[in-house]
Amino acid sequence: MIELRHGRVSLALHPLREASGATLLCLHAVGGSAQDFRQLAGRWPGRVFALDFAGHGDSGRLRGGAYHPELLAGDADAALARIGPALLVGAGIGAYVALLLAGGRPDLVPGALLLPGAGFAGGGPAPDAASDTISRWEDLDPPLPGCDPAVRRLERDIRPPEYAAEFARAARSLLLAQGDFAQPPWWQAVRAGPTASPAPGEPAAALARLAALAADVS
Amino acid sequence: MSEPHYPGAAAPERSRFFVSDGVRLRLDEWGDPSAPPLVLLHGAFDHGRGFDLLAPLLAARFHALSLTSRGHGDSEWNDFYAWQNDVADVVNLLRSLPRPAHLVGHSRGGGQATDAALWAPECVRRLVNVDGFGPPPEGFAPPGMSVDRRPAPERFRDYLDARRKAGARGWRPYPSLEDLVERRREQNPRLSREWLRYFLHHGAREVEGGWVWKTDPAFARGFGPWRPEWIGPGWQRLRVPMLAVVGTEPDSWRIPEAVAAERLAFVPELARAAVPGAGHFVHMERPRETADLLLGFLEP
Repeated sequence: MIELRHGRVSLALHPLREASGATLLCLHAVGGSAQDFRQLAGRWPGRVFALDFAGHGDSGRLRGGAYHPELLAGDADAALARIGPALLVGAGIGAYVALLLAGGRPDLVPGALLLPGAGFAGGGPAPDAASDTISRWEDLDPPLPGCDPAVRRLERDIRPPEYAAEFARAARSLLLAQGDFAQPPWWQAVRAGPTASPAPGEPAAALARLAALAADVS
Repeated sequence: MSEPHYPGAAAPERSRFFVSDGVRLRLDEWGDPSAPPLVLLHGAFDHGRGFDLLAPLLAARFHALSLTSRGHGDSEWNDFYAWQNDVADVVNLLRSLPRPAHLVGHSRGGGQATDAALWAPECVRRLVNVDGFGPPPEGFAPPGMSVDRRPAPERFRDYLDARRKAGARGWRPYPSLEDLVERRREQNPRLSREWLRYFLHHGAREVEGGWVWKTDPAFARGFGPWRPEWIGPGWQRLRVPMLAVVGTEPDSWRIPEAVAAERLAFVPELARAAVPGAGHFVHMERPRETADLLLGFLEP
């Protein structure tokens, strides 16, 4: 395990596979951890790292509990600062974070594979003026095992489609999971953009497509 | 350095820490604890002692409690900051009081007070928002700075770069408190040096090499998809009366009247007032007039 710092928080970065070839960084869903990617790591041709986001797994808890996707993007960026350019695979909140990073750091992220999972939908495209949006902040679902109870706020942040679309346009290449899952407005906006393409349904094929992106652009 | 004095300013009668969601927050109090409670909320980069002029004028009728928000003044620093945490802190304080309270907030604190009244209407009697109606649509541009109009991903890259240095970030010490006073005067030219000397004495600390702000350098350096048009529509659900206060003098920290009016039009039960001779820092510039206005609205 590699210990990283993001601000005043200590983060755990787990090397899952050592091999020559393009580097893969795995970003887990709300309530998940780096361990969720053990099986997937074996199918990647190069090095694989998986990060425990703040509040999860072996990483530190956030003093004050202000968990946000943009904070998690800083966690993942701390990993990129250590391992260098990498392809990303993200599930749930990890997919949204991967989108932000792919758009914000196109020089370090040749492509990202976005998968559904916990924290995928977020809290909707805009605050709902007709309902009690603000007080939902404290109305958290039961704590997730091994996690800071406040990480459930990662299921509540607002994700405007036009914001997601800006990051998608700035990204180099995004592979989007296909299948029968609810598609929030931010995801539909990404899917409609010029940098997105459908990922093969078979995991090994999806990873092969992602690995090919590294070869295409480097 | 000895405690400075300022005409009309009175230090709190009692000070303690209020723990909200595990975070220690400074709470300063004036007046009889059995009197009706009135909670005071300061603006961004300020602190609870900014009410040392106003609170004593309210303390004859109320138990005034000034909460210093996370990362400010003598309250604890956090690893990251989000608006909802601050609002939750206000709600937690309100719920700790024996009965519903009046809520008075200035600038960012006015926005927090308004959201707290939406969140916990059963805890709030009346609401006073002093020039806290959100940033203008294009964002605030303080004197000497311009609004950043680049696309979100480009600004986000700067945010990520700043986060990479966030652990090491600290304020550069100013050689003396007087230098901090001059720095703040550039941002708020309407505030007198004499008042700033008093106010910043409590908002800064002496370290080796000079004086530094107490505010966490990580505060207000977050990133997100927030949109100015989100302010206002939610206010139509307010169940308590709001008094919206502004000053009459030009001030770069006050949003255009048309924008304020558009947002305030959502408030079901609204009263408006303007304090002559004041800019954005109404309660610091004209404490007596502000107190009279509040007393008239809160206990008509």
